[in-house]
Amino acid sequence: MTFAAEGGISLFIPKVYDIVWSLIILAIVALFFYKFFMPKFQAVFDERAAKIEGGIAKAEQAQKDADAAKAKYEAQLSTARVEAAKIRDDARAEASHIIADARSRAESDAAQITANAQRSIESQQQQALVSLKGEVGTLATALAGKILGAKLESKDVQSSMIDSMLDELDKK
Amino acid sequence: MNDALIGLTLAAEGPELPTINDFLLPQIIFPGTPFAMDRIILVRVLATAIMLIVLGVTAARVKLIPGRWQAAVEWVLDFVRDQIVYQVMGENRGKRYVPMITTMFLTILVFNLCGIIPGFNIAATATITMPLVFAGWCFVQYWIAGIREKGLGAFLKDELFPKGVPAPIYILLTPIQILELMVIRPVSLTLRLFANMVSGHITVALCLAATQWFLIDGPNKIMAILGIGTFAAGLFMTLFEMLVACLQAFIFAMLTTAYINMSYPEAE
Repeated sequence: MTFAAEGGISLFIPKVYDIVWSLIILAIVALFFYKFFMPKFQAVFDERAAKIEGGIAKAEQAQKDADAAKAKYEAQLSTARVEAAKIRDDARAEASHIIADARSRAESDAAQITANAQRSIESQQQQALVSLKGEVGTLATALAGKILGAKLESKDVQSSMIDSMLDELDKK
Repeated sequence: MNDALIGLTLAAEGPELPTINDFLLPQIIFPGTPFAMDRIILVRVLATAIMLIVLGVTAARVKLIPGRWQAAVEWVLDFVRDQIVYQVMGENRGKRYVPMITTMFLTILVFNLCGIIPGFNIAATATITMPLVFAGWCFVQYWIAGIREKGLGAFLKDELFPKGVPAPIYILLTPIQILELMVIRPVSLTLRLFANMVSGHITVALCLAATQWFLIDGPNKIMAILGIGTFAAGLFMTLFEMLVACLQAFIFAMLTTAYINMSYPEAE
């Protein structure tokens, strides 16, 4: 049951071959971690961070695009609404214009038609008067000749007589 | 010869108790040369090979979207980077040392865990040399950091004659500081790790050797009841060793980071 008391100190004295192997192993392990293991993982960490940041940026960009599209859409909508209102107003104005136009044209047409009719009536009346004048003149002359018993040979007498008669008729 | 005889008599008389001879082993391969190997060194080489293969394959197959194993490895890497290095030195100073501290932490952790892996049954850090080599790396790094950041003169002045101390105190303080800078830091790192591994092995081996003797080899079958107790203790100590393995790797990495950080000027 005795511990090797004289051997105890040797526990704390590094042996040459132990130093050699410890250093070799440390060198191998450090080389592995420094040159291979850590860079591999660091690359993935960096890539992941970039991906996440890129994703966030992309989402922000998408949000911005969506906002812009929405604003554009709303602007277009309001423009369209204004345009529609304008078109409606224009149409209404046009319509009332057309109606007014039509009405005025109809009125002027009617007036013209009335005037024409008036004129034609007047001319017909005139015509009737003239022809009547002639007829009445001849008739009266013939009648007078018969009454007077003599032909009124002279043309001048004839016409002056007719005229004076007509004047009298007119006055009546 | 003598040792073998003692071993034999021990086996006859009582349990095969662990001794410091578990750490002072015969050279099996290349005996007598600088490349001689004993059992602990074989464990160390094997553990290194396994670690490099497992982590090498993991790193070679590393993906953007990690699987379970990769996520676990990444968790450890994140832990070392954020909880040890950046926690102590901050990101600006720490970046340079992340690979070093990761190397230290993972290697020491794997080596420590060999102590409870069946077949290995001894920590690869259970000779004074392996912790000493790691401590030496730490020593070199905090000297380099001090000289690079402050220059040799200013570094030594800051370390040996701390500011804000009355001049006569330097008679006491400076020798202590020299000792601290040259000896205490690396030796304390070494001894803490080494002693933990040695004592851990002895405790676990003691429990299991006693269990073996009480339950199987012992002359008295009534004492087998004691064996149940020692087995439970062995189980508990094995789990405890698992904790100690992680804890010591963490402490070693943490203190190394802290020592390097001390070499930097106080204000960034």
